[in-house]
Order: sequence, then structure tokens, then C-alpha cells
Amino acid sequence: MNEDTTKLSRRNFFKAGTVLASGVAIASTLAPYDGLLFAAEAPGAKGKWYGIGIDINKCIGCGKCANACKQENNVPKDPFYFRSWVEQYTIKNDGSILVESPNGGIDGFKQSVPDGDIYKSFFVPKMCNHCAKSPCTQVCPVGATFETEEGIVLVDETYCIGCRYCVQACPYGCRYIHPEKGTVDKCTLCFHRLKKGLQPACFEICPTEARIFGDLNDPKSKLNYFLKNHTCMVIKPHLNTGSKLFYNALTPEVR
Amino acid sequence: MPLHIKRLIGVFAIFIALFLVMRQVLRPSSFGELGHFRAKAINENALRPMHYTVADSCTKCHKDIRSDKDLGFHIKLKCEVCHGPGLKHALYANRFKNKELPDSLLLYKPGERKDCAICHNMNRARIKIQFDTINTTMVHQVNVMKHHVTDPKTKEALKCIDCHNPHQP
Repeated sequence: MNEDTTKLSRRNFFKAGTVLASGVAIASTLAPYDGLLFAAEAPGAKGKWYGIGIDINKCIGCGKCANACKQENNVPKDPFYFRSWVEQYTIKNDGSILVESPNGGIDGFKQSVPDGDIYKSFFVPKMCNHCAKSPCTQVCPVGATFETEEGIVLVDETYCIGCRYCVQACPYGCRYIHPEKGTVDKCTLCFHRLKKGLQPACFEICPTEARIFGDLNDPKSKLNYFLKNHTCMVIKPHLNTGSKLFYNALTPEVR
Repeated sequence: MPLHIKRLIGVFAIFIALFLVMRQVLRPSSFGELGHFRAKAINENALRPMHYTVADSCTKCHKDIRSDKDLGFHIKLKCEVCHGPGLKHALYANRFKNKELPDSLLLYKPGERKDCAICHNMNRARIKIQFDTINTTMVHQVNVMKHHVTDPKTKEALKCIDCHNPHQP
């Protein structure tokens, strides 16, 4: 144990330390840390960069979007498989919050709390947020789910092994395992319709135009107009998922 | 070099060669072209069948309904909101002129109270309060369970569409 194990002189330690510290400083100026990423602007984008806007004030909770999604994409009719669904939030006078979604809102909502007890009530349509830094694609062990150049999160059905890892990773609960195929299924933003130049089915069908669909890269798009003229927010911004589903009149109760 | 190291190198070389061969055989052809996924999967997603069409394709034939609807409150509603997906109908119904349509091409005809109630039944969430005093509704609100349930003269059960024209309410 008499041997000197370090062999590093004080001079050399300071030299190495200075080189390392200045190297880190220079590197950080070349590529600054961009921990927070807001998806409103695509990262170095050309071409399309799709986003979604939903106006909670305009939603009347008819559930036609949830129904249209099921019919367009052959989603199983059972009440627990949804790509898109509607929730009714009821805030009572005593401060408690009630969240209901009978069959995803497809059969309509029935007011379960008498008028006198309600402080306020509203509908929140939910669907895949098509995050720019989506947690679900990051956890896939086989590369069966991915983000396209247009910012749409898709699933490769033939490659999915049905491990359910992404179902747990999604903070918005937007994925489910298809009971017949055994693979994961999720909103594709009606990719097959987009490629034909049409709107996704739920946007096409909304009777009050509460759902707005558009290209975030195009400054003249309907969506950008909507975002400029309303106070829009995403759900769970602290998770930094780069969500591209913007809600107008979103309140903190919605999760 | 000791003998056991040489042997180990040989074993490793065999394993790496096996891995490369298996990777070549098992990896799908388009994997990795655009990222850690099969590039062909994008096209497969784009080729799925459509069920909903666009509003224009309905009013090409049903012009009378369009002229009705353009005058009423339901002007902004697309036909498929109430009648369901109609792409098949729009594509093939033309072939059955003056003949009965087969069941697969028929669209849903809503007429029950529950169909109208989906949007028009009383619900506090459909009333938006503005400026403290003025209550506004996005849609007309009635209590569907109480609103003219039976005919006052004949005492028969009434449907919404007995009095209201759904295309021009």
C-alpha cells in the first residue's frame, strides 16, 4: 500500500480540469440545452406539421366525434376501446369534481347532478395529442411505433408485439390493445384521409366546429388563427411531451 | 498470445458473424430508412379503407334536402352527423336508380327521441354563462322526457319529428 496509486500531480489535475470545463462551456454555446420544447413550432420544419385545436366552450357533448372515429377506423364497439372520447366535468358547489364518460359520450350525456348543486360543468373531448416528444414511441422495444415527418404518431401493426409498454407510457391514456389483433391501436389522425386531402373524420363531423385541424407551419391555416385568437393550453404541460393538442378554455381540473 | 485468448477470439468471431447473418435475414426490408421503424408502415397506414365522405357528395343528388337545410338552424350540420358514414352510399347508390337500395347501402334514419336528445336534451354543460347575466346556449335545449310526450287530443306518443322537420327545425 506504499505505492502511490493516483500518480496525478496537482499541476496535471488543474490542467485537465481546465480543459474539461472550458470544453463543456464551448460545447454548450454551440448546442444550447433545449430542455423545454414547445411544439407550436416544428423543430427545423419544412412541409406539414399537423396540430389540433379544441374549443371547450363550443363543445356540446354530442359524442359524434367518438362515434365517427369508431366507425371510420373499425374500433371495437365495446365501451372500453376508444381512440377518441368525450368527458363531462362537473364541478359542484362543495368543490368536488365529478368526471363522467358513459360509453365515451357516444350515447349522449345525462345530467347526473341536479342543477342546484352545480357550480359549473363542461365537456372535454379527448384524443391522442400527437406529441412531438411522445413518451409512447420512446418506450417501444421493437420500433413498432414512430413519429412521421408531419408530426403524427403511428403504429406499425405488423411489427407490434403487444407488450403494452406504450399503453402505460402514454400520460393521456390514448392507447389500447385491440382485442382481435392483439396489437396496440391508437388515433392515426385519420392518416388515410389526410393522404387523400380530407380532414380526419372527427373534425369533419363536429356539428359546432369545436374541433379545429390544421398545419402549424402554415401561418394562414385555420389552426394558427384559432391559436392566436384564444388562450390555448395543452394538458399536462409539466410533462414536456410537446403535445400538439391545444384546448381553449382549459381549466386545471382537466387531466 | 495465450491459447485461451485465441480461442475466445475465435468464438467471438463466430458469434458476431452469426449475429450479422441473422440480422440480415430477420430485419424487414425498409427498417431504418427514416428512423427506428419500418418506412413501409407509413404507406400501410395510409391505405386503410375510408367510411366517411364529405358533405358535397351528399348534396350532389339530394338537392331538395340541401335547399331545406340551407334555410334552417341546421345549416352547418353535415349530413353524416345524423345519418352515419356514407361513403359506400355515395359511391354506389347511383346504380340503383328507381330501384330499392340493398340494406348495406341504406343509411341510418334517425327519428327517435333519443337521437335528438343527444344534442338537445337539457344539460347544464351545454349552457355557457357569459357576462354573469346572459345565459347562452350553443344548441336549443329542451327537456326531452317532458316536452310534448303525448298528443293532447289522441293521447298517442309523439316523436320529435312529428312536429319538427329535422332538416329545417
